[in-house]
Amino acid sequence: MRTLFNGTAKRSTSVALFLATVSTATLALAEAKAAEVLNIYSHRQPFLIKPFIDAYTAKTGTEVNIVFASKGLAQRLEAEGTRSPADIVLTVDIARLSVYADRDLLAPVRSEILEKNIPAHLRAPDGRWFAFSKRARVLAVSKEAPDARKISRYEDLADPKWEGRICSRPGSHVYNRALIASFLHASGAEKTEAWAKGVVANLARRPQGNDRAQVKAIHEGVCDIAIINSYYYGALKHSDKPDQREWAKAIELVFPNQDDRGTHVNISGGGVAKHSKNKAEAIRFLEFLTSEPAQQLYGSINFEYPVNPAVPILSELRSWGAFSEDKMPIGRISELAADAQKIIDRVRW
Amino acid sequence: MVDRATFHARGVGLARFNPWAFASAVLAIVLLAPIVAVVVAASKDSGGLWDHLFETVLSLYVGNTLTLMAGVAAVSLAFGVSSAWVVVRHDFRGRRWLEWMLLLPAAVPGYLIAYTYTDFLEFAGPVQGALRELFGWRSARDYWFPEIRSMGGASLVIGAVLYPYIYMMTRAAFLLTPASLFETGMLSGRNLFWSIALPMARPAVVAGLALVMMETISDFGTVEYFAIETLTLGIFNVWLGMNNLAAASQIAVVAFLFILALLTVEVLARAKRRFNDTSRRAVSIRPKPQNGWRALACFTVCALPVVVGFVIPVGVLLNFVLRGYSLALSAPVLDAALNTFVLAGIVAFIVMITAGFLGFVGAYKSDPLMRRVTAVASAGYAFPGTILAIGVVTAGGAMDEGIAVVMRNLMGISHDAWLTSGIGLVIVACVVRFQAVGYGAVTSGLERLPTSMVEASRVLGRGFGESVRTVVVPMLRMSLLAGGLLVFVDVMKELPMTLLLRPFNFETLATYVYQYAKDELLEEAALPALMIIVTGVVPVVVMNAALRRFTRG
Repeated sequence: MRTLFNGTAKRSTSVALFLATVSTATLALAEAKAAEVLNIYSHRQPFLIKPFIDAYTAKTGTEVNIVFASKGLAQRLEAEGTRSPADIVLTVDIARLSVYADRDLLAPVRSEILEKNIPAHLRAPDGRWFAFSKRARVLAVSKEAPDARKISRYEDLADPKWEGRICSRPGSHVYNRALIASFLHASGAEKTEAWAKGVVANLARRPQGNDRAQVKAIHEGVCDIAIINSYYYGALKHSDKPDQREWAKAIELVFPNQDDRGTHVNISGGGVAKHSKNKAEAIRFLEFLTSEPAQQLYGSINFEYPVNPAVPILSELRSWGAFSEDKMPIGRISELAADAQKIIDRVRW
Repeated sequence: MVDRATFHARGVGLARFNPWAFASAVLAIVLLAPIVAVVVAASKDSGGLWDHLFETVLSLYVGNTLTLMAGVAAVSLAFGVSSAWVVVRHDFRGRRWLEWMLLLPAAVPGYLIAYTYTDFLEFAGPVQGALRELFGWRSARDYWFPEIRSMGGASLVIGAVLYPYIYMMTRAAFLLTPASLFETGMLSGRNLFWSIALPMARPAVVAGLALVMMETISDFGTVEYFAIETLTLGIFNVWLGMNNLAAASQIAVVAFLFILALLTVEVLARAKRRFNDTSRRAVSIRPKPQNGWRALACFTVCALPVVVGFVIPVGVLLNFVLRGYSLALSAPVLDAALNTFVLAGIVAFIVMITAGFLGFVGAYKSDPLMRRVTAVASAGYAFPGTILAIGVVTAGGAMDEGIAVVMRNLMGISHDAWLTSGIGLVIVACVVRFQAVGYGAVTSGLERLPTSMVEASRVLGRGFGESVRTVVVPMLRMSLLAGGLLVFVDVMKELPMTLLLRPFNFETLATYVYQYAKDELLEEAALPALMIIVTGVVPVVVMNAALRRFTRG
């Protein structure tokens, strides 16, 4: 028996030693954080956020930490509870943003600056979340298809005359889901499902790829009309890769529904984490995001539209055309997201 | 003395307190905690969503998942088993190179191969470009070309990077099959492959295939990129699209049941056959020299998987780099590389210790029930990474709560995020997820080890711990090393869990690449992507060198 226990003891000593090392390392990492810091949980990629952070740090001296993930951050925040280090949450669409609000993970914020800089339909009435930039869901049409250039409404996409000429990413992607939700808001369930079915019937190929790939498909002659987010056009047009610039040359943008409800827009936005220990600083950061220099950055880095009406739209963006946007309360989109997904499942988009 | 030696043989483990079984039960529980957390999430009310799912997409999800599994199984078995047999049985020009190059695709992450193949085979890619040039076609409407973003494409690319699991385990099994058996086969005029090598290697083939199947079921990157609506894609549609984590977890559990069924079939099949070779050291079959067209055929069989799974994706990435699309090597990239290495090393180490412990205790020191529990504990592999990560974060949050209370009361330390800050959770998640890889390596090694070895050692008066240390571990060091290196490579490639669970400002190469790849901008991150592959190659080479030394005796 003695040998047996000897073996166990030796093993458990080394395991304990190892665990001790790991927790010390963890502890050291935690302690390394200085006083003036702001911690961000972000659904937006670091390379798109870094310029904002650099500008903010340069202005205020605050050190900003970031962790980026595309899925599950809400669950992480929830599991961490009061122990969470997060001060701010940033997302790239309204549906994910309201998930945080619905789970009570965001703190209500009152800020005159935010309320002045962001129009009411682009922020939560209780101040739990705010939009910082807008992107329009537009139609990309082939310059070589004169008839397609006459398309003017989302509704037209279901017209049988476009059979085999439309490209789209999968319906269940957030951007399409939000578009369908906006349609639900405008026209009700029955009309929306009939419309979605019509669009699917017109698809030139199985839904696939991202919005970039749809523009490419037009360039390659696979289809003549695609549904894309506006900023992809800018990214392609000004790409450092010559072939991507060629794709952009093959299309022009149509801002749909200008004579009625306006073009569907989605937002990138954020809010202050409920258990943030540094709420004042967090609010200051959000306010900074709505200031003129930051609002301009959204345009110059990623070709997005400012939410702050006082900030002029970048000339490049203006050159794509002025448009009126669908002014439905943006939060409604996330309320309708589940219904939209059900329609997507039924019509197999 | 005698009493101690017969401790195991008498099978009194249940009646008496068995510290080994107890310790492995505790370990199994820790490993199961995140899985339990997923099941708990699945037990919540899903708001009647299943009616909708049954009516609309569920049959599609299940059908697609099964088709993909069949396709990947076909590709990976064809690549893995054929090449393993050829390099063991035949000697031909280039064999010594191909022998280890066949492992290289293991270093290529699924999300990278999907992307690179699309670039390679789509309309604007070099293949179709050359065809258009040749035949004078202009637009995509002028001709037909197989769509890479399809079920067939997904089966091919997933199979092409997963077959090394099968290749490695199968080759080891072929090498360990005693030459005497083949000689007997030759004398009786049997087909050596079908009637001797394959049946003998079956546990290894099946163990490799089980890993491949689990990874196929839980794959998200490739199926999302190719828009193949599998159960895993459905999990994400339900979770993020309908904001219904309960229903998503329920689908995950359904997928998990698939895996359990597979594992059961495998265990039942394996239970019937147990081969013990009592000779001291098995002499491997000597490869037969081949020349001319036979050598060419051998070469082709072995080179094809390497080209499909490694040369083409690496070539595409290299091309991006050479065209100057990628960002340059910078301090953050090097930091990420270092992080990746450290993380992969720590996880591989822990996994091999825990898997070894569970494997040894399961084999020699516990009852069938315990063995089953430990087998299930290694099934975290079957969950999509993100879902498992949510299980880990939930379980980790609860554990943290407990640790914080204990620490505060016992030691007066007020720090309260032990696991959820730092890389603690990432390590836990990876250990849980890749337990299957280590456990598979250990058990398939143990299968071939005669139980009589340990029994002899026990009869000679050594305790169980000492027997394991002096007899089992040395004999299994190849399996342990191979398992550890596979885990290392797996962690290097791992994306969804690291992404969700990592601390602030902590990047691995995979997460660094992902911020670009997410938006189909992989060109920008081609260099770090190549680094994932190149660093993955290092352990592959080490593994092979060790295997070679081992087989030479």
